[in-house]
Amino acid sequence: MATSVETAVNQAPAAIAGCGAFCASGPGLEPLQRAVASNASALRRGEFDSGKSSQTIVAGLVPEESLGQLRAADPAHADSRAFLFAVAALKQAEKDAGKILDRIPAARRGFVLSTTKANIEALDKLVRGQLVSAVAQRQIQPAFLAADLAEVLDCRGPVQCVSAACISGLSALQQGAAFLRRDLADVVFVAGVDLISQFVLSGFNSLKSLDAEGCRPFDKARAGLSLGEGAAAIVLAKPALSSAPSILLSGWGTSNDANHLTGPSRDGSGLALAIQRALARAKIAPGNIDYVNAHGTGTPYNDSMELLALRSVFGGHVPPFGSSKGIFGHTLGAAGILETVLCVLALQNSLLPGTPRLREPDPNAPDSLLGGPRTAAKLNCILKINCGFGGTNAALVLERALP
Amino acid sequence: MNDFAVHAASYLGPEGFGNDLTGLRAWPGPLQEDLARGELNGLHWSLLSDSDPSRFLRMDLMCRLGFMAAELLDANLDAMPAARRRRLGVCVESFTGSLDADIRFAQTPRPSIFAYTLPSTVIGEICIRFGLKGPVLSLISPDTNGANVIIEALEWLRHDDAEMILCLGIEAMNSSTAESVPLPKNLLPRSWHGAALLLGRAEKSPREKCFTPGALADVCRQLCSVPEGA
Repeated sequence: MATSVETAVNQAPAAIAGCGAFCASGPGLEPLQRAVASNASALRRGEFDSGKSSQTIVAGLVPEESLGQLRAADPAHADSRAFLFAVAALKQAEKDAGKILDRIPAARRGFVLSTTKANIEALDKLVRGQLVSAVAQRQIQPAFLAADLAEVLDCRGPVQCVSAACISGLSALQQGAAFLRRDLADVVFVAGVDLISQFVLSGFNSLKSLDAEGCRPFDKARAGLSLGEGAAAIVLAKPALSSAPSILLSGWGTSNDANHLTGPSRDGSGLALAIQRALARAKIAPGNIDYVNAHGTGTPYNDSMELLALRSVFGGHVPPFGSSKGIFGHTLGAAGILETVLCVLALQNSLLPGTPRLREPDPNAPDSLLGGPRTAAKLNCILKINCGFGGTNAALVLERALP
Repeated sequence: MNDFAVHAASYLGPEGFGNDLTGLRAWPGPLQEDLARGELNGLHWSLLSDSDPSRFLRMDLMCRLGFMAAELLDANLDAMPAARRRRLGVCVESFTGSLDADIRFAQTPRPSIFAYTLPSTVIGEICIRFGLKGPVLSLISPDTNGANVIIEALEWLRHDDAEMILCLGIEAMNSSTAESVPLPKNLLPRSWHGAALLLGRAEKSPREKCFTPGALADVCRQLCSVPEGA
């Protein structure tokens, strides 16, 4: 008779084989883990040049030094930051995956890109009559950016590009797992990338959804989000490829509120539905979830809606939860993957992330809201959730495969 | 595969529009010329229906085409019980995505356009219109045929992730918008269309007639242009 662990490994379509990140906290996983451990925020005040004027914002901007190193290493892509960021994260995930990739031929390596706007700053420049390289123009098109990135990783298997607002990352991970389940690939590189550009900044300015002081997710006085930029990547592999898969992607679900284009439903029912779908696929009960990494943008409506959804699913026993956007901002199409990377680190280090920049918790938040990081006595199962424009919701379940 | 069927199909393109085995209907004369040269602002809801969907005029071109294709399906989605609509998925696939709205927003940032600078917004509009709860998927693909969402939809049905799936293939770009920015030609669509397929289990069709399954716009165009009595 199979043990429960063997059953979980055999049933789950995907194991996490490697991770990479390139964001405001710096290049790689170590700065990210340090930020989690110290509950530090990498948001910073910066002047953003719009071409006509400059605006001071508090945002998760990639450090200039890190960007300079990427440009120096690949001058041909110097004006396609989306490409540079994604390659940096992907190369790290490839390295993290290690030898498991050596046995996989190119035709069995799939690729899924998650982005909302790809290399959108090239469009900003073209509209203003500025010079843009041919490759930067090409990578305005998300599917072309996906194809170019797949080529760098020598992925000759299925290639797909998901663009579904702020659930893009979780949706892309779902698609990567689906490639494995359908035996279209043995490993799938899933990358998410987005930029803070004039285009994006104008949009969120116009909706008045930015907090001038920086985001404060789940705070009583929260007043909006902080934009972030960067990339993250995860290598998914068939669990059987690893002699000891440690973390499994076992469930996912999406839904739509059918309510409003730019605001969440007031009752959280759409997000609750996505969570229920993910739990059902993972075949686990809500009580098995040890930690929830929330979307937690810091906008009044989003966070209130999430609290309702969590209470709807977990009743009076909401597990420890928090938001990581105080670390690196809202990275849009990269968010789902970057925050899943953070969940993987949590499982690996048995450390529950806190909610950086939280001062006074929303009085409606359950006591299980984590202000700071906490060592976990038990951490086997994590729920990751994201929501987005258009009323979209997504949920993902990560499970530790116990030895 | 035999368990699944196309419950309904619709198509809007330069050649006309249709939703059944009665052939494509031609656009009105003056509009026909505009549509043939890629000027799509004249596409209006009133060409299809007397009803007044107040949201239509605020939508971008991609949403308008998707919305019209979904409405043109004539699949009685409104009349379905809420429990079925709760398990009705929506997938969209496009090459052009929201590029038309992107260019217009980059030229003149307005909050009313920003919400439409995402290729997945059309899913939200359609879910709001019909009360659909997903699951949902939005893909940008390097070609315009929309075949990937049919494959994904059949997988969802096979795994009982949804009872029915509304698949949309949309390419929408005004020629005047395209000409206003020096974009490389390979970023622009070769033509425009809005196509919709409602896929589901054959025994659960919301209509009396259903088609057998078989890339999205081509299937829709073929399904919609078979002469009556064929």
